[in-house]
Amino acid sequence: MAASDTSKFKVAASGVIPFAFVIVLMLYIFGPGGDLLDFGIALPEITIEKVDFIDSEIQATVRNTGSIPVQVVVADVNDRIQPAAVEPDGYLERYETTLVRIPFEWNEAEPYRIGITIDDGTRFEKEIESAAFALEFTLDLAIFFAIIGTYVGIIPVMIGLLWLPFIKKISKQKYHFFLALTAGLLLFLAIDSIEESIEVSNENLANSFNGALLVSTVVVLSFLALYYVGNKIISKSDSLHFSKPVAIGLMISIGIGLHNFGEGLAIGAAVGIGSIAFSTFLIVGFALHNTTEGIAIAAPMSRGKLMIGKLAIMGLIAGSPAIFGAWIGGFAYSPFTSVVFLAIGAGAIFQVILVLLKWIQKENDGNLSTLSVVSGFAIGMLVMYFTSIFV
Amino acid sequence: MIVLLAVTIGLSTIIVFPSFSEAESELKTFVTHSGKVIRTTGEVIDPLYTVSEVEFDPMEYLREFNYGKVSKLEDGTTVREYTIIAEDDKVMEVSPGVFYNVWTYNGTVPGPTIRATEGDLLKINFINNGSKEHTIHFHGIHPAEMDGVFEIVGPGGGKFVYEFEAGPVGVHPYHCHVMPLEEHIVHGLYGVFIVDPKEGREPADEMVMVLNGLDTDFDTENNFYAANTIPFYYQHHPIQINTNELIRVYVVNMVEFDPINNFHLHGNLYTYYPTGTDLVPSFYTDMITLSQTERGIMEFEYTYPGKYLFHAHKVEFSEKGWVGMFLVNDNANSDESSVKYGS
Ligand SMILES: [Cu+2]
Repeated sequence: MAASDTSKFKVAASGVIPFAFVIVLMLYIFGPGGDLLDFGIALPEITIEKVDFIDSEIQATVRNTGSIPVQVVVADVNDRIQPAAVEPDGYLERYETTLVRIPFEWNEAEPYRIGITIDDGTRFEKEIESAAFALEFTLDLAIFFAIIGTYVGIIPVMIGLLWLPFIKKISKQKYHFFLALTAGLLLFLAIDSIEESIEVSNENLANSFNGALLVSTVVVLSFLALYYVGNKIISKSDSLHFSKPVAIGLMISIGIGLHNFGEGLAIGAAVGIGSIAFSTFLIVGFALHNTTEGIAIAAPMSRGKLMIGKLAIMGLIAGSPAIFGAWIGGFAYSPFTSVVFLAIGAGAIFQVILVLLKWIQKENDGNLSTLSVVSGFAIGMLVMYFTSIFV
Repeated sequence: MIVLLAVTIGLSTIIVFPSFSEAESELKTFVTHSGKVIRTTGEVIDPLYTVSEVEFDPMEYLREFNYGKVSKLEDGTTVREYTIIAEDDKVMEVSPGVFYNVWTYNGTVPGPTIRATEGDLLKINFINNGSKEHTIHFHGIHPAEMDGVFEIVGPGGGKFVYEFEAGPVGVHPYHCHVMPLEEHIVHGLYGVFIVDPKEGREPADEMVMVLNGLDTDFDTENNFYAANTIPFYYQHHPIQINTNELIRVYVVNMVEFDPINNFHLHGNLYTYYPTGTDLVPSFYTDMITLSQTERGIMEFEYTYPGKYLFHAHKVEFSEKGWVGMFLVNDNANSDESSVKYGS
């Protein structure tokens, strides 16, 4: 009894003692009197994350992205000082945001530079290429976005699904080609999402968010989460009355859905900032591009029974997030959430690619390096690249 | 499906979220420069200074002339002795909420306006209580060793006595001449030196306006411009003058970084004496252009009472603070001779 107590104690102690040394080390480096590390003077920093133009007023959403609290004290438009209101107030703790309301008779389609000065006299600015009324929520506009989302998301994916009977009839070799093509298409989408999220982060988020690291973290986390859930779905697919092809198709749909959510965001935001030409361009480009996503869903599904209902649901799962994306992008755009959603989409797609490759490998007796697989993958990437040129 | 549901819930939360910021605090109203009325539950940020908040009082600075401690030599020459102390550690609220490290002569930006009559012997006791080297370089005529360029005065109580004869007649700047020069000037080490002609000038309501700028974020561009340091001050606190009274403004441009500044007067024109060295005016205008340290004397009288703007017609500068107002009071029986300068 005593002996086992002692040994338990020893085990506990051997676990705790190194930990105690870690604490001592940290105290030594960072604690009071620890002058080993001098990080210099902390510089205040704010980021103007969003600028909205409403009737006779310009509204800037300002976030304290530095490591010390700041006070917002002066607002300017094109470097000309303007009286303004700060809601709820100008004092910002780390990562806190405030809304600066600047009364200003702005002109549509003109560029503006909005400046905010903080208590130590440092001025930060954000440039808006073309001023346009901030979208206010109306039912008409919501319906408009829903229609655009349908055109961009649901309909092209459904059209893509129409290739299913064709894929069903082809040989095993050709089928593997199409599966690999799907993986290639998806890989391109994932890279595209990552690129887009890093771009949004660079343009709109402060350095303190560590844009590229934020994106990679979210990509990896969403990949891991979906990998775990996906394997659960596949392993239970029999008991859930799904066939394995349906389970894979479902995961592909979810991954593509998250990606299309990002596309919806981009369209909504483009309409929101009033760049009509750009939004039209995006709508046409994405619609074209998204028919290939239908093939991606159709390819694995083609080996199961033909189930029109399930297929339609998959199409909706993959396509309808474009509608949600357009709503959020148009009415409640936030660069931070866009970055996160785009990264989740990329992570989801990576896990789908992994599932697809495993599926091909299994069907192909462990071989991934056949001509049909390699050429399918390459052509998938190329098709996406060429359709992306239109976007 | 679960993921999709989670995403949808997440998204709706984000849509609803902005409405949380509508806090239920009191409603304030303010009127902007263009007359628009704004209601807000938040804070109002406006470059509007109320008298109680000002550490440096532009109104007091405007008409304050420092004649020094006066004594006479045996030959009858007037001797004027001044003490100027330089410091560089003061943090001053230069515009509401904006705290800037000013470098000062006698605690203010600009430093004291030194005034003497042509031919007076000047003794300026300079003490450097700052943490950096400083000097005083006077524009005007004086011996080389009194120029404040090569005679560096050390920090922490270094001393130097500048001695020279006042001249020529006019309005001149003085400023620190330690390298990097731009840094020392833009932080505020400058002031005005007026030399009156022996016969004096016509009695007038006299004032000094130093046109300056503040680069509060050190990007070699001014964040604020002003007449006498505090942006928008004379717009919110108009300078009171009288109708039919001669107004004389000693204007000195100390703006750094920008090649020109200017001075436009509303509802009137002024006679202008560049540098004030000639007693005959060169222009009758409502607009003069000034390069760095260019200066002169403006004289005018208002016939009609009311509010009149004066500002940089380089509008950028006026919209960043270099704008003010004269409030001209009806003065039926003005008594000009009561004001006597140069004593
Ligand atoms: Cu100096």
